[in-house]
Amino acid sequence: MSRVRRVGLVAVAAATAAVAIVASAAAQPAAVAKSTATCKSGVSIGFMGPITGPAASIGDDQLHWAQYFVGIWNKNKHHVKIKLVQGDTQLDPSKGSVVAQQFASNAAIMGVIGPASSSVVEAVAPVLKKAGLAFASGSATRVSLTGGAYTGFFFRDVPNDGVQGPTAAAYMQSDLGVKKGDSVMVVDDQESYSTGLADIVQATLKAKGITVDRESVSQKATDFSSLVAKVGSSTKVVYLPFQLATEAQLFSQQMKAQGKSAVVFGSDGTFDSANFNTPGAYVSFFAPDVTTIAKDAKLVANFKKKFSGGTTPFGAPNFVLAQMYASAATKACKDGKISRAEVRKDLAKVVVRSTILGTPMKFTAKGDVAGAKFHVFKIQADGSYKTVG
Amino acid sequence: MNWNLFLTELVAGITHGSVYALIALGYSMVYGILKLLNFAHGDVYMVGSFVGFGLVTVFGGSEALSVNVWILLFVMLFCAMLAGGLLGVMIERFAYRRLRAAPRIAPLITALGVSFFLENSAQLILGAQYQSYNSYGWHNGALWASGFTLPSGVHVGLPQVIVVVGAVVLMLGLTVFVRNSQLGKAMRATSFDREAAAMMGIDVDRVIVATFFIGSALAGAAGVFNGLVYQQVWPYMGFQAGLYAFIAAVVGGIGNLPGAVVGGLVIGLAQSFSIGYISSTFSDAIVFAVLIAVMVVRPSGLLGRAAVQKV
Repeated sequence: MSRVRRVGLVAVAAATAAVAIVASAAAQPAAVAKSTATCKSGVSIGFMGPITGPAASIGDDQLHWAQYFVGIWNKNKHHVKIKLVQGDTQLDPSKGSVVAQQFASNAAIMGVIGPASSSVVEAVAPVLKKAGLAFASGSATRVSLTGGAYTGFFFRDVPNDGVQGPTAAAYMQSDLGVKKGDSVMVVDDQESYSTGLADIVQATLKAKGITVDRESVSQKATDFSSLVAKVGSSTKVVYLPFQLATEAQLFSQQMKAQGKSAVVFGSDGTFDSANFNTPGAYVSFFAPDVTTIAKDAKLVANFKKKFSGGTTPFGAPNFVLAQMYASAATKACKDGKISRAEVRKDLAKVVVRSTILGTPMKFTAKGDVAGAKFHVFKIQADGSYKTVG
Repeated sequence: MNWNLFLTELVAGITHGSVYALIALGYSMVYGILKLLNFAHGDVYMVGSFVGFGLVTVFGGSEALSVNVWILLFVMLFCAMLAGGLLGVMIERFAYRRLRAAPRIAPLITALGVSFFLENSAQLILGAQYQSYNSYGWHNGALWASGFTLPSGVHVGLPQVIVVVGAVVLMLGLTVFVRNSQLGKAMRATSFDREAAAMMGIDVDRVIVATFFIGSALAGAAGVFNGLVYQQVWPYMGFQAGLYAFIAAVVGGIGNLPGAVVGGLVIGLAQSFSIGYISSTFSDAIVFAVLIAVMVVRPSGLLGRAAVQKV
């Protein structure tokens, strides 16, 4: 072996060892992080979401809305400066755990926005709790996430599936004429958000004697024609608790192409008039669409200018979370110092009287949205959404 | 028997299988010549799909197309194939060429690296949002209203016809090219024995570049076909399609061109019939079970040994 090659091998081995040491250090529990810092150089908030990977369309949008708020907030020289530290989970619980450990051991981080999905929340919760960090999600809706072991640590500014599922099922019966003996097809997209919601709707309808044909397709599916062929003449409604509006649109279009007459009913994940606009379909959502709220028009226009491309229903709640963290940090920084415990305590008490979601925002003792309510919208002939329930 | 369901699944399977077959051809061609599993191939397909989407936007968007559909389709296919082909050549030139003599694991890992690079670059440049061809809206839905109706009332839309016919034409063109042209013969010789081909005066570098160009151009065409029927375009779409196409190439007999086509159709039909008749939840498991069954019975793939043309 030549000398150059030997030196090269030694260098590679040394670099590998260094990476291993750094990685194992990062993997240590959060106890190593000091949980108090001064506010002079700003307050760091972690952002944890699927910034890359198959769910990047959601995570990227969430990050952009959080960045958008921070950009506006930091322009005021009297405000405590907020810094966002990004962590990419790729919607994968194991990657989420690594990010959680990095955030836990980073003494500058005082709170976390995210994670995006319920399965990642469950994976990171023990690490973040041990590190004393608050974590607030703008899209994790599994009912069991709040009110349990992580009360006081985990918050969310979107209503949970326990509100949305029964609302959708009740509307199908009261307004769409679904009754005992009729059939409803429920299709989940194999993500925890979707399966949880589908389970609740399925159970609610079955309890009323309605036949449910439960189906499941990958969120990465590009064709539903095989599944659409199974929509029978007795099927009154096809319920699609999807995370991607484009998938609901394709499903509806393929139903039309195959001459199926069942009504399509989407969940809040499909609430996006730019991408799901099949006339006659229904969608449930926890608040009006930010892109349709008159007072948000300028804000949304500037957002679209700053971050080229569209937005999803999962984005704007992260603007509100950043806003709530900024309020909590401002209160905690009154004495010039801030701690994770202070942020947790203050975040739980923050009240925003007017948000871009069109509703006020504060948390319940469990960490859920106070006064959570879902609305039902019908898609009109021009693709716009009209509130019907 | 429910003929409506059967024929719908058949049409869906053949349409999807045609797209897989086009992508699988590229996998097979490159493997035949270099014994390289080019995992970046699915991302070339993604780029082709985005090129098509860009042209739909340039010509007024799905709801207000300013050109005839046939002209648009021709331009989309031409540009996507050209872009895919050139991207394939660049990948070969900058990522794989220096690794030809390296152990086989090196280009394999590099291929994965190129794949991630392309996906992340696409996200950076084009954004992470899903985009849609929305061919259902072209000229007020005239495209999907056209087509023909099978017995039992199953309507086959014109886009589905275009995809299947287009894929067949491209596959036949490739077969004729490989069988009859001088470059095609050089490709077969290089596939058979690269060193002997070089000693016989064949410019192996040129053959490899041509192989990447043609295989990647087919992936670009597959991207447009996919958008035309299945609408959605996003930066990570290549992974899933590439995985299925790779399975198709292996099932058919990797390195074998007719095998790639047969494999694509088998996977497409297995997917659609498993969703229609067994379970939508387990369709992926069924597709992989098909792969395992074929590998157990015929380790070289369905047409792996009976190959007449090997590129």
